[in-house]
Amino acid sequence: MKQHGKTHTNVDKEPNLKGTLISVGVLGLFIIISWVAVFAIFLSR
Amino acid sequence: MALHNVVLPNEDSRQLLPIPKKEAKLYMSFMYVAFISLFIGGLMGLLQVLVRSGNFTLPFGIGYYQILTVHGVILALVLTTFFIIGFQFALMSKTVGMSDKQRNLSWLAFWIMTIGTIMTAITILLGKASVLYTFYAPLKAHPAFYIGLAFVIVGTWVAAFVNWRQLYLWKKKHPGEKSPLLAFMVTINMIMWFIASLGIAVAVLVQFIPWSLGYAETINVLVSRTLFWYFGHPLVYFWLLPAYMAWYAIIPKIIGGKLFSDSLARLSFVLFLFFSIPVGFHHQLTEPGIDPTWKFIQVVLTFMVIIPSLMTAFSLFATFEITGRRKGYGGLFGWFKHLPWKDVRFFAPFVGMLAFIPGGAGGIINASHQMNTLVHNTIWVTGHFHLTVATTVILTFFGITYWLIPHLTGRKLTKSVNRLGIIQTIVWGIGMLIMSGAMHIQGLLGGPRRSDYSEYGGTEQAVTWGAYQMAQAIGGTILFVGIILMVYIFIKLAFFSPKGDEEFPIAEEEENAEPTPMWMENWKLWVAITIALILFAYTIPFVDIIQNSPPGSVPFDWPIGNS
Ligand code: HEM
Ligand SMILES: [Cu+2]
Repeated sequence: MKQHGKTHTNVDKEPNLKGTLISVGVLGLFIIISWVAVFAIFLSR
Repeated sequence: MALHNVVLPNEDSRQLLPIPKKEAKLYMSFMYVAFISLFIGGLMGLLQVLVRSGNFTLPFGIGYYQILTVHGVILALVLTTFFIIGFQFALMSKTVGMSDKQRNLSWLAFWIMTIGTIMTAITILLGKASVLYTFYAPLKAHPAFYIGLAFVIVGTWVAAFVNWRQLYLWKKKHPGEKSPLLAFMVTINMIMWFIASLGIAVAVLVQFIPWSLGYAETINVLVSRTLFWYFGHPLVYFWLLPAYMAWYAIIPKIIGGKLFSDSLARLSFVLFLFFSIPVGFHHQLTEPGIDPTWKFIQVVLTFMVIIPSLMTAFSLFATFEITGRRKGYGGLFGWFKHLPWKDVRFFAPFVGMLAFIPGGAGGIINASHQMNTLVHNTIWVTGHFHLTVATTVILTFFGITYWLIPHLTGRKLTKSVNRLGIIQTIVWGIGMLIMSGAMHIQGLLGGPRRSDYSEYGGTEQAVTWGAYQMAQAIGGTILFVGIILMVYIFIKLAFFSPKGDEEFPIAEEEENAEPTPMWMENWKLWVAITIALILFAYTIPFVDIIQNSPPGSVPFDWPIGNS
């Protein structure tokens, strides 16, 4: 069995990962906001 | 065994081997030491927060820095290392097997580590080594402290060699197959640990032991601190990677799903190997005597670790979402509901994952040079690692405990212990939210870490810290309740739960998963890149440090070292 035939026989469409995309986005946003907040404290001192 | 199918490379990694009784005893021995450590260390934590609230004085002339040394050493070094080595042995045994000879060597590893631990512990308890778990020179402990530590490290090396041998023999028997995912991950972690611990071994053997014995008059302080942090940062990844093993390869099984991507998991581990070691300077940003250019370079390398971290986050969310949708939960976040919230094997690690969101964000802040000047040596840092190691890692380890201990002792995780575990997790989460939150804020207000109670001569700034120290006492007390609960659960699972078979959950790949590329198994290349990165990041600044050192320091066994 070659690699190709095996992988794509009964593959349903790509899984729906919208929730994941948003979650990771929110996570990234949280990191950036925390960073900027502490950086603001640094600047203000 | 003889039946394995050559056509499907994914097939073999699914064959799980039983863990024989003789091996179970070995793994349980590691767990006993881990949970005894949890209890002792937790008790010290309780005493610390009480002392720091200003309402409690230690009896019998016990010093604050003595209990703080016990706390740091026994929780950060002993508990973690014993749990990890025991857990990793179990993973290897399950996926690639263990021979009798390997088992004997593993016992040797256990005893070397245990003898070292006992030596170190006695020295600290006698008040002869109140040097904190980082044992910075020129504080001088009794030589037995350093010798004990050296034993612990050598013991872990024996364990590492056994793990590598286990995989090597399996690969010889299964030519052309990819190694089982968990065995791959354990091997990566032990390679990282071995390369990193060489640094501390050199510091201890070449610098500290002769100096503490009086053979060497002085010690090069900056070299010793640099060697410590060459080890110290990978140390935190040595704690974290076993938690990631559970997140990638065990949690999907517990929630009724499949592995999201075998290749992604392996790639992220390889990246952790690359970027965990050449970054120790981010702990030394305020250190004079290190060229700022090289600090900057190591900070850049530090930030590379964000890549595999976000890969991990993505992979976890995707596992949750795909599994949920497959179970028929629609909508943007409907899949969230399917997660087995009432199963402590999932719930405890999940709370650990949540804690890693502020934990990781805090880490990026710590590593940013400007902001490091804001938080360096403040109790913010303590708040940070009580999220990362004392919540993310520890709750994941607890999550593993709920199935691993009964699996090893031939018992069941009962409904009532499961419920108690959920309560334990909530107690831990609340206690830590209060304690760590208060530490973060007090740190931003300038409150120092590693500090006995003090009014600092009544300065105004110190007055603003009082309420937060009180909050830490409350949070810390709640946490101690969590420790009592967990020790109770451990004893119950180890000795009193009803007999039965508890599953060792290991996730499988999707039927139609893309095959993992074989270049992932290129161990020599991974090690070569790792060493090249270390040489790049450390050679020039290290030579500079040695060539331009100030005179070394004679030992100080006071005010807190050994007096
Ligand atoms: C009952 C639970 C716990 C409490 C109340 C507690 C409390 C504390 C406090 C107040 C400090 C800082 C003291 C100071 O800087 O003066 C501290 C330090 C520390 N804790 Fe905990 N902790 C707990 C659990 C843990 C756990 C589970 C771990 C690790 C797995 C851990 C690892 C550490 C480490 C490494 C330090 C730093 C020691 C040093 O600065 O030398 N703690 N803890
Ligand atoms: Cu670090």
